[in-house]
Parts: sequence; C-alpha cells; structure tokens
Amino acid sequence: MDLIGQLLHLFVSGDFWQLALRNAALLSLPALGGVICERSGVVNIAMEGMMLTGAFFAVVAAQAWHNAFLAVLVAAIAGGLMALIHAVVSIRFHADQIISGIAINIGAIGLTTFLNAKISNFQGLPQVDLSARLPQVNVPLLSNIPFFGEVFFQQNIMVYVAIAALVLGNIMLFRTRLGLRVRAVGEHPQAADTAGVNVYRLRYGAVIVSGLLSGLSGAFLSIGIAYIFNDNMTGGRGYIALAAMIFGKWTPWGAFGACVIFGLGDALGASSGALSVPLYFLQMAPYILVLIVLAGLVGRSTPPAADGVPYTPEAE
Amino acid sequence: MTEQGQTAGADQLAIDMRAITKVWPGVVANDHVNFSVRKGEIHALVGENGAGKTTLMNILYGLIKPTSGEIAINGKIAQIHSPRDAIGLGIGMVHQHFMLIPVMTVGENITLGYEPVTRGDFYDKASARQKIEELTHRYGLTLDPDARTGDLPVGLQQRVEIVKTLYRGADILILDEPTAVLRPQETDELFGVLRGLVQGGKTIIFITHKLREVMAISDRITVMRRGHVVGHLVTSETNEQEIARMMVGRDVLLRVEKTEAKTGSVALKVDHLVAESDRGVPALRDVSFEVRQGEILGVAGVEGNGQSELVEVLAGTRSATSGRVLLGDRDITNLGARSIRGAGVSHIPEDRRGAGLVLNYSVADNLVLGRQRSERFTWRGIVLRLRAILNWAKRLIQAFDIRTPSPEAAARTLSGGNQQKIIIAREMSSEPRVLLAAQPTRGVDIGAIEFIHRRIVEQRDAGAAVLLVSAELDEIRSLADRIAVMYEGQIVSIEPSGTSEERLGLLMTGGGREERAAG
Amino acid sequence: MTAPTAPPQQREDAVRPDIAGWVRRAAKAMAVPIGSVIFAFLVGGVIFAISGSDPVLAYQAMACGGFGLFCFGGETPALQVANTIFFLTPLIAAGLSVAFAFRAGLFNIGVQGQLIVGAILATIVGIRLGNWPGIVLIPLVLLAGIIGGAVWAGIAGVLKAMTGAHEVVTTIMLNYVAYNLLKFLVVNGPMQAPNSSAISLPVSQNAQLPTFIPANSTFFGQPGGVYHVDWGLLIALAGAVLFFFIMRRTALGYEIRAVGQSQRAARYAGVSVRRTIIVTMLISGAFAGLTGALMISGGSLHYLYSDLANDSTGFDGIAVALLGLNSAIGVVLASILFGALHAGGSVMQSDAHISGRIVQILQAVILFSLAANFLRTLKLRLPGPGRKVAEPSGEEAVQDEFQAEVSSAATDIDGKA
Repeated sequence: MDLIGQLLHLFVSGDFWQLALRNAALLSLPALGGVICERSGVVNIAMEGMMLTGAFFAVVAAQAWHNAFLAVLVAAIAGGLMALIHAVVSIRFHADQIISGIAINIGAIGLTTFLNAKISNFQGLPQVDLSARLPQVNVPLLSNIPFFGEVFFQQNIMVYVAIAALVLGNIMLFRTRLGLRVRAVGEHPQAADTAGVNVYRLRYGAVIVSGLLSGLSGAFLSIGIAYIFNDNMTGGRGYIALAAMIFGKWTPWGAFGACVIFGLGDALGASSGALSVPLYFLQMAPYILVLIVLAGLVGRSTPPAADGVPYTPEAE
Repeated sequence: MTEQGQTAGADQLAIDMRAITKVWPGVVANDHVNFSVRKGEIHALVGENGAGKTTLMNILYGLIKPTSGEIAINGKIAQIHSPRDAIGLGIGMVHQHFMLIPVMTVGENITLGYEPVTRGDFYDKASARQKIEELTHRYGLTLDPDARTGDLPVGLQQRVEIVKTLYRGADILILDEPTAVLRPQETDELFGVLRGLVQGGKTIIFITHKLREVMAISDRITVMRRGHVVGHLVTSETNEQEIARMMVGRDVLLRVEKTEAKTGSVALKVDHLVAESDRGVPALRDVSFEVRQGEILGVAGVEGNGQSELVEVLAGTRSATSGRVLLGDRDITNLGARSIRGAGVSHIPEDRRGAGLVLNYSVADNLVLGRQRSERFTWRGIVLRLRAILNWAKRLIQAFDIRTPSPEAAARTLSGGNQQKIIIAREMSSEPRVLLAAQPTRGVDIGAIEFIHRRIVEQRDAGAAVLLVSAELDEIRSLADRIAVMYEGQIVSIEPSGTSEERLGLLMTGGGREERAAG
Repeated sequence: MTAPTAPPQQREDAVRPDIAGWVRRAAKAMAVPIGSVIFAFLVGGVIFAISGSDPVLAYQAMACGGFGLFCFGGETPALQVANTIFFLTPLIAAGLSVAFAFRAGLFNIGVQGQLIVGAILATIVGIRLGNWPGIVLIPLVLLAGIIGGAVWAGIAGVLKAMTGAHEVVTTIMLNYVAYNLLKFLVVNGPMQAPNSSAISLPVSQNAQLPTFIPANSTFFGQPGGVYHVDWGLLIALAGAVLFFFIMRRTALGYEIRAVGQSQRAARYAGVSVRRTIIVTMLISGAFAGLTGALMISGGSLHYLYSDLANDSTGFDGIAVALLGLNSAIGVVLASILFGALHAGGSVMQSDAHISGRIVQILQAVILFSLAANFLRTLKLRLPGPGRKVAEPSGEEAVQDEFQAEVSSAATDIDGKA
C-alpha cells in the first residue's frame, strides 16, 4: 500500500513525466532510425554504436568550437559515417547484417574510448561548458499551463526535434512516393527492382538516415543531458531503441509508444529513492517487458518481409 | 511468305534479337540466338526447363546483360541496360513468380516506380485510381485498385501484373509461363484478355512448355533447346508432335517396359483424409483410396489441387485434421516423419533442393538423411557409425550410378539429375513397403528420367506399393497401373491404366463427373 | 542396366583418408580468416599512425604482451605468456558457446548474460559449500555454472522455438536482465561482501581451480602467485573436444547441423526443429555458463564484481567463433589470437602509452571482413588435380550463382556443414 502511495505521488508530479518524456524522446530518435532502416530491408542492431559515436564527437566538437548546434551537426555526421560502414558492408558486400551491426557496436566502443584516452591523455574529457550545451526551450504561453506546461513545453530543444522527426518520418514512410518505394524495397526488393526502383540507393539512404538520427540522439545524451562524455555512456540505450522498434511493429508512432514505456521505466529508476523498490529491479523491467511481448502474449510482431536478406538481382 | 525462316520486313518486326549469347561460368545459357517477333502477333517461345527461354527474355527486359549480340525494337537498335530502359521502349514483362508486394494495394503495386505525385512527393492515390480504371475499362479487365494484393486469387494477381505493364505504356508484353499457376477457367480468361490486347494493337510473347496452349493461342512459334534456337514454326501449319520433337530432339514417348502388375494385399489405406494448406485453406477434403502391394497408383492433376499436401500428410511432414492413414493394419496417422519412415514408408519429396537434401552435407551424409537415428547408422541413437555410413554410401553410389568424385563431396557440387539420384537411392534402398514419389523426375535430364522410371517399376515388382504424384501426364500414363485424378482436394475418379489423355484432362479440370468410373 | 561406374582406381582414392586434400581445403578455408586478421592489423597500423603513435612500437608492445617476444619494458616473457593463457581460457569456452549455436543457425548474443548467471550460481555454490573437499566441490561449482548458463539461454531457446521470437533480441534483453540481477546482488545487495563495495565474497579455497605454478615458488624471477595459469585451460580444451564430438560424431550433432542448413530438409528427415533449437540453446548456454564458472573458480579474482557486466568476454566470443569458422579447432586458434591481443593491449597501454581499447577496433575490423567474406567461403569448392567436379546443369547453375544461401555460418573448416 505504501508503494502505491509512493507511485501515485510520482504520477501526479510534473517533474516525473517531464523526465519520462525526455527519456522517451532520447530513445525515439534511434528507434525511428531503426524503423526506417529496417523498413528498407536492412537489419540494424548498431544503434548503440552509432549513438555512442555521436555522443563522443558531439563533446569533442563542443569543446573545440563552443557551439552546441555545430556539435549536433558533427554528431549526426559521425553517426552517419558509422552507418555508412554498415551500409557498404551489408549492401555492397552482402555481409551478414547482424554481425556487421555487432562489429559496429564493438568498434564504436573501441574507437571512442581509444580517442578519448588519446585526446585527453587518459584523463577523460572535461565537462561541456555552458556555451556548448543544448538548451532547454520554454514555449511562450504554453509553458505556463499547470502540469502539462511543465511536461510538454519546457523541454530540451532536442525533444522537440525528436517529435518533429517522428511526424516527418511517419508522413514520409506512409504518404509519400519515397516512403512507398522504401517499403517496397523492404518487402520485395526484386519486385521493386523490376519496377525500375533503385534498390541499392534507397537502402543506402535509409541506413545513413538511421545513423544520422542515432548520432543526433548521442549528441542529445552527451551535450543535452549529461554534459560530459564517459566511456560507453550509452549503456544499452541503443538496444532499448531496437526493442522499441520491434515493440512498435516497425512504425514510427508505435516505436514512440514503446519509448514512452521505456522512458517511464527509466524515470522510475531515477526516482527509486522515492520508492522502496530496489533500483535494479526497476531497471530490469523494460527488458522483461520486451520478452513478454515477444513471447506473443501481446500479439505477434512481424518485420518487413525482406528484412535482413541481402539483395542479389538476376536470381532467375 | 515462306514461314520456316524470317523474311518479314524489318519494320514489321516489333522485336529483333540477333546473335544473342549469354555465358555464365560453366554454362552457356544462350548461344547465338536469333529471335524475332512481328507486331501484333502472339508469339510462343517454347522449350523445356533449362532451354534458355527465360534467360533470353530477361535479357530483352534488361534484367541481364548479354555477353554479345544486339537487339532492335521496332527497327531501331536499342541499348537495354535495366528494366527502366526496357519499359521506356514499351516492353513489359509478367514474370513466372509474380513481382508483387502482398501487403500493398493493387494501385500501389501497379504504379510502383511510376507513381503519380502531388504537392511535392505525396503519393496521389486518386490520380492512380483514375488511370487504372481507364486502363481496365479499355481492355476489358476488372480490378479494385484499393484491394490488398495478397488477398487476391492468383488469376487476379496476374491481372495486376498485366495492368502494371500497360500502365507503363507497354506495347510489347512478355509473359513467362503465365498458365503455370492458373486453373483452366482462369487460363481461358487469360487467353480472352490476350486476344483483346492484341486487338488493341499490342504484341505478345508467351513463354511456355505447354503445347496445348501454344496451339490454342499463338500465331508463330520459336523452339529452343539447350540455349539454341532449333526451329521456327507457324502455328496453323504444325502440330504438337512436331513441336515436341523439336523441343526434345527425338520422339517423346516415355514408355517404360513393364509387365502386368501382380498385386497383393492392401498396403496403404487412406480414409477420409482432411488437411489444410500452409495458408490455412482446406487442401484435402475427404480423400480416400487404397494402394496395394506391387502396384503403382498414379495421382494426376494440375498442381495446386492438393497433391503436395497429400504426400506431405502421408510422409508425416504435415498434420491431418481428420481422417486416417493405415499402413497394413497399423494406424500411422500423424505419427511424425521419423516413425512413419521407420515403419517402412519412403518419400521422394517434390522439392529436392529444399527438403530432400542438405546441399552442404556430403553425398554420404545425405544418403542417411532421415535415418540418422536408426541402429544401423548410430550406436544407441547417439554416436554415429561413420564407417557403416561410408560403406552404405559407397554401395548406393555404385548401385545407382551417382556421378560424384567421392562420397565426401558436397551434394551441391552434383548436377540436378545426380542430386535426384541421391534421393532415389536413399529412399529406394531401404526396401520400403510404401514408396511416395512426388514429381520424381522434375528438372532432371532425359537419361536420368529413364533410369528413375525403371527403378520405380523395379520397386513395384519387388512388392512395394508406389504412390506416384506427377504433373507430367505422360509419366503417369506410362508408369501407373491405376490413375487417381485429383481436383480441388478430392479424388474425383480412379481410372484404369490405358485411359486417354482427353478423359484425364477432362477429369483434371473438374469435368466428366457423370461418367466417373467406379472406384 | 546401369551405365559403367567410375573406374576402380578413382574409387580407391575415395577410400583412403585424403590428408592432402584436407590440408588443401583447410588452407583455403583459413585464407579468409587469416586475411581478415592481417587486414585488421594493417588498419590498426594506420590508426596508430594517424593518431600520432608509433605503429611499430605499438605492435612490438603487443607482441611482448601477447607472446613474450621483443619485450623492452622489463617484462618477464613467461609472465606475458601466462597472461595470454589467462585471457584465452574463458575465451575458448565463450567461443564454443557462440559457435555451437551458430551451427544450428542461431545467433547467441547473450553469452555475457549467460556467463554472469553461471558465475552467480557458481559463486553461491562455492561459498555455501565452501567446506567440502575440492575434488567434489570444484566439479559442483562448474556444474552450477553450466546449469545457470543453460537455463538462461534456454529461456531464449524456448521463446524462439515456441513463438518464433528472434534470439538476437531475446538474448540481448536477457543480457540486461542478468546485468541488473548481478548489480542487485552485489551493489549493496544480499551478496555484497561486508566492508566492500560492489563485490561479493570470494569462493572458498577449495572451490578454486589449482594453478600450475604454486603460489609460494619462484618462476622466472617472479613469485608464483602472479601466474594465473590453472586447470581451467585443460577444462576449456576438454570442452573443445566435447564440442567436436557432439557436432561431428553424434546423431544430435548431425541433426543440429541439418537444422542450421535447411529447416525444411531437417523436418523432412523427421527432426523436430523446435526440440533441436531448445537443445542447442541449452548446450550453448552450458558452455557460456562454464565460462562464468571458470572465471570464478579459476582466473585471478574468485569473486563476483559488478563490473562483470562490462566485461567483454561474451562479445569477444562472437569474434572468436566467427574467426574460427565455428569449428572446435578454429575456436581454440582464434582464442589464442584474441587472448594475445588482450594481454598485448595492456602492455601496450602501460609501455607504449596507447589505449588498450585499440583491440576492440581491431576486433571490429576482423568482424567486418569476416562478415563480408562469408558468402565467398561457400565458393571454395575448387577441384583438385585429377578430379573432375560434376557441372550443375543450366538453370540450377544460375540459381546457385545468384541465390544467396545464408548457410555459411553453419559450415566448418571443410566448407561442409
């Protein structure tokens, strides 16, 4: 009973939901990237590595130029470059996409830690100073609404970016010609090819976009939330984004819904001091939730038909 | 105009492919092929599996680049590097395996790659619908642009493919084995559509190996064999025999020498069997029959009428929802493949590369596939007896003349015919009581076909009950002692051995029920 | 009736064991992994050069740390070799775990989590039954680890077999559950040792695997306790032999490989694909759990620590399995390489002042090259002198050429399944 009281206290606090939404937004960028990438038929489990790379280079750029927006740009490009490696290896060389993804994740840890040690001479990069941090934005008027104002309209700028990306991503995938082609390529690349659609170009594009989005998310993490870079700081968030994508049945808003659930879990974890439940059990919860869903207790989840199969033409 | 050559004027030729050659490592798919089609005609491109017809058309459609040769469309030399080029030249192709995306709508599939857009890049559904309706009205087809393609029956899906080509402005349509997946009424409907298209000024190339259809619909014929063109014919001046002779290079009468069947007791009894297909649709609706020792019961029918599912249920790789299968006195219904095999039922699967073999396993390993736990090959079902397996393999390789450099060679290095021989050897050498043979000679060269037929008769003479399922009527008529005809999941009749092709064809397409022979 | 068979001479060749052929095929199969490694070292050299470090110095330090060669910082070569052995022992077991699952076509990415659960159970047994004699206790500790890992992987196996849930996702999720479980137990939790932070009590002396070099001796100028070479090495190698035996000498292994090659063919052969998936994951998890037990009973620490969650053994196992082409002998060889890289990395860090994490970058490059080359390893079916390989017929040759069969992960050093 005590626990329920504590939970209720949390659930009516604007602080708590603000945190939850922020966490959700952080996860939804790579999740959206994953949706787009896999919809085009390329499996991507490398969000973790791309995010970490983005986080690192954001801090480096922030330190160098003291400009948050330039740093975000750099982070996106860094993520995009990592994604490009995955794209080339998977699409051009028909590599196994899961192994490639794992390689990216391992390589990202190695690269960022190595460079971190190199640049800072094993001391660790210093904290990001104020001029280079991603600012919070309070929407005029709307931010004064009690409770909702705090939750929705007093957020870091990247949260708004994430929501905008979701809206745009959804429109692109389901209402535009480009999205139609992307989905066709993911379902039946041969049909798309014989219809005259450039399978390779679309897949490259989709993979790189997922890298850009993951890189953005990394920047959000390092210069918008933590204001520092620690080795391996993404701590598995990329994998949670992957789970969110599957949860959300490979749709942008579905993935976002899953991100909200996970963001809630994270927020609960951060507030575990206020709850008499061990922190680690709370942190376990999202993962167990995914397992339950995957066990089919909440319905089956099917990916795009040609997901993960390298396209080889001339199969007749 | 003489018709055994090509004397039409160049400007009357919609398509003129000259000296087309395509070489792949180890194989010449097309060897200096000359192929031409006149405007406004229906031209049949005929040949067996592997003759090179599909390769030739894939070259025409830009999916494959020829090693050498040139192509002229409507009199002008053309460079076709991709389907987009071909489409630009007015060529459209309907593939044997549909290039349709099941989860998308008819409209989306038709317009893919040439989608109408509004306000930037937004897909213009209304405009697409309008254009499609225009086309379907003009050529007498009907399609719902908003239907989910995967939900449509096969005949309508094919129509989507046809409208797809029309939408892109095709004047020349290539149809690759279009009737392979159709029921007879759908085939008739298709022919009606084709005639309508020709009246509307289109030119049609029709790839097939079904001679009856060639005679029914085409104006002229080009026959290919092993990558070469072996003849040009005018349909009205030729017949099926002549075409067949050209296709195979000799008279095609696969008659195996066989004596009268000496039948014994009932070995396999099937009782009111009901089963579903992979899609959850009923595939077997109350099937009953018997097979005796020492006889071959052929199962004839157009593919897709339940034959595959029947064999799978009997072999234990598919569950029956009701009904019984009895092996002698023993009820083996739904016992599972291992037990059924152990009880003496051998199975030559119709999908040799997918199911009958593990291509990366050695020949020897493949020769014990399915019996890997039997005491003969495994100690207490745990540890493999490698020497026993190797000796077994060597015996079979010799007895069945399987051409392989060694028993340890991987099965994927063998030719199709020899791969099939592995399966035949394996299934026949266990001295089965019942032999289920599904499409045993599909994709196999002539020499191996005769070999396999002889072995099947041998099994019969040794007392096995053989169930032979085949889409080749000739094979059934030559081997079977009795012929069961399947149509829409049921056995519509069991006919005696000498039954005419016409009667069988009639039964296979659902007719002739009033005159059904008794059991 | 039948056409004449091949002349007797050729058939005799098939009877004699073909050592030369095996060596040739093995060499061809190893070309790709070896090429990947060389390529990775070249890339590493470039990275060193670009970031202002001396490649030669770096690799020299690595060689020193890995094999005791070219040491210049005053290290004891024997100690360096011992360190390599220390690292490679759990790697063998982890690599076997991943490789076993790969043979069935399953991606076991959850080795780290399974390893942790195994370590937890091993520690509990090793502490609770700490008074029991070593001869009984040690096998029990190992068994506890094996069971823990097997169960953890079994969850993913059951999910996959029953619901089709992709094992990549489920094993990753289970990893994170295991990490949090570990932290719960050891960070201010029920298993935290008193007056310590984030570590557990060590298992008793009896539960620890005996080392080869006694602690109170001197070996090459260093006190014996510094060398951490223990019986775990032999156990790991025994594991490799067991792997080989199961895979290639039992009907179960035949069926597992069949499932990995073609589920349809396996079903046709009467194999229950579901049962095989579950059994495979259980055995794979058993190897992973053994790894965890070896790290507790052997190694240097003998207790649980929260940072085990960040340990890289599980993921290194993936690289080891792939580099070893999923075969027992390959895994052992690859483990030697990666063990040497690990040991070399720390010397590189202390002597050449370069972050040891470069090893991860090398690992990633190796993985990329392997992944990209997979399909090509399938084509290593070149005929030897005097042997003709039957030509596949027309359309099937086309299909072979242009249809990508993703069965490469389940073929071994012979290119066969």
